[in-house]
Amino acid sequence: MLLHALLGGVVFGCYFTLIGLGLNLVFGVMRIVNLAHGDVLMLGSFAAYFLFHLAALSPLSAAPLIVIGFFLLGLPFYYLVVPRLAASRDAEMLSFILFFGVQQIIEALAAIAFGSSERSIPARVLGIGAVHLWGQSLPRAWVISALVALAAVLALYLYLYHTRLGLLTRAVMASREEARASGIDIHRVSAIAFGIGLALAGLAGVFAPFMLGSITPAMGSTINLAAFAVIVVGTLGNPLGTVLGGLVYGVGLLMMQTYLSAWADLLPNLLLILVLLVRPSGLLGRRVRLA
Amino acid sequence: MPADLLRAEGLAAGYGKVRVLWGAGLTVGAGESVVLLGPNGAGKTTLLKVLLGLMPAWAGRVSLEGEEITTWPSDRRVRRGLAYMSEIGVFTALSIAENLAIGGQFSPPARLRRRLDELYAVFPDLAARRGALAGSLSGGQRKMLGIAKALAGAPRLLIMDEPSAGLSPLFVGQVIGILRRFHATGLALLIAEQNVKFLDLAERVFTLEGGRVGFSGSVAELHADNALHRAYFGLGA
Repeated sequence: MLLHALLGGVVFGCYFTLIGLGLNLVFGVMRIVNLAHGDVLMLGSFAAYFLFHLAALSPLSAAPLIVIGFFLLGLPFYYLVVPRLAASRDAEMLSFILFFGVQQIIEALAAIAFGSSERSIPARVLGIGAVHLWGQSLPRAWVISALVALAAVLALYLYLYHTRLGLLTRAVMASREEARASGIDIHRVSAIAFGIGLALAGLAGVFAPFMLGSITPAMGSTINLAAFAVIVVGTLGNPLGTVLGGLVYGVGLLMMQTYLSAWADLLPNLLLILVLLVRPSGLLGRRVRLA
Repeated sequence: MPADLLRAEGLAAGYGKVRVLWGAGLTVGAGESVVLLGPNGAGKTTLLKVLLGLMPAWAGRVSLEGEEITTWPSDRRVRRGLAYMSEIGVFTALSIAENLAIGGQFSPPARLRRRLDELYAVFPDLAARRGALAGSLSGGQRKMLGIAKALAGAPRLLIMDEPSAGLSPLFVGQVIGILRRFHATGLALLIAEQNVKFLDLAERVFTLEGGRVGFSGSVAELHADNALHRAYFGLGA
């Protein structure tokens, strides 16, 4: 049972990494907190749901479309909102308020458009049967979701560390002031990072029906809490630290569900409180948290 | 006097409601070396930031080779040959090689490679540790990296904010030697400083006091002005 919980925890950890990845990238580059992250994920879930039920597109085929679509939506949204926000005196605090409003609006519109009933995509669309690892069997949909998450982490790593734009993105993360002084077009770099953040949330949304259960317009708030726990544990502003946060969260969740199932919902709060008390800068702790 | 590369006239700028510049102006000729002297709080950094587009000008005009650039964003100015070295000057969280790549971000790859080879020859300490984080360097080495980074894009005008800040006299001498070397190849310099050692490099001097340019002229003329001489060199100098 322990091995199953651990293996399942790692698989869930990969998925929770994907949930936190975009949020942490946006925070790292822009120092703003996208409280609507979970709701963007919810929209990704609904997009996958409708593409499956109306266009018979499997989630794996829908994923690239949703990634591209959400990325393209992120660019105008960034230019509309963020430069003005960044010019304010306390951008971080204002971002909380603004994105809280955006979250409420998305949730309300989604409830009007989609209704509040629970929806799902059958897991068999990702293949039938279990995957056997070290004598344990795991649902195929879990493993596929985890592999997609790992591919997204790898893609983000390659972008940040092996492309010119990625280098400029890390420069903006290191110091916006110095980046401007070096002639970096920080709005272009940030808009792309924001688009990537939304695309990653959308991608996580595609696999939410298999990992988190049914989808509803109200699911965003719960996801936000998990995403915050993941990135605070893994170090705010350090996108690749999200992997560590995701794994801690995933293994913690499956262990709790296995041994203390009645308490499992408390996990994100417990992790947040523990990390804030013991190691406020996150487990990697290289960056000072400003929020 | 060489033709104007950069010209600023009547600049006003500030922070919030606090006005720092009150009609400041200066010129830098092509290939010329200009030092902007002034005490703390005179507005030197503000003036440089306005020249680079890092702060908006409330009034006045900045032009580059006769073309008005007052409202251009900083990246466009850098593309056109301006480079700025702030007091920090480097990304401490990035490696030496990455810092230099950012400095040369607008250069075609082949030209950047040639330029970096040149720079590594001038800065052998950096060449030996190119994979190391800039944050692991000493203050003097960071300053050298800041200069190399600013020069990586082969700018026509290098604008520097207090390059002597935090440096020992030995390093100040080295910085001046390196700047002299690049200036000899045609690089124009605009250096905001309090340290009069940098006047060794200057072909022209501007003084900034209370957000206004007080004096402009040659180093010899600065020495000839008794009041200024006393202010910047002390009575015994």
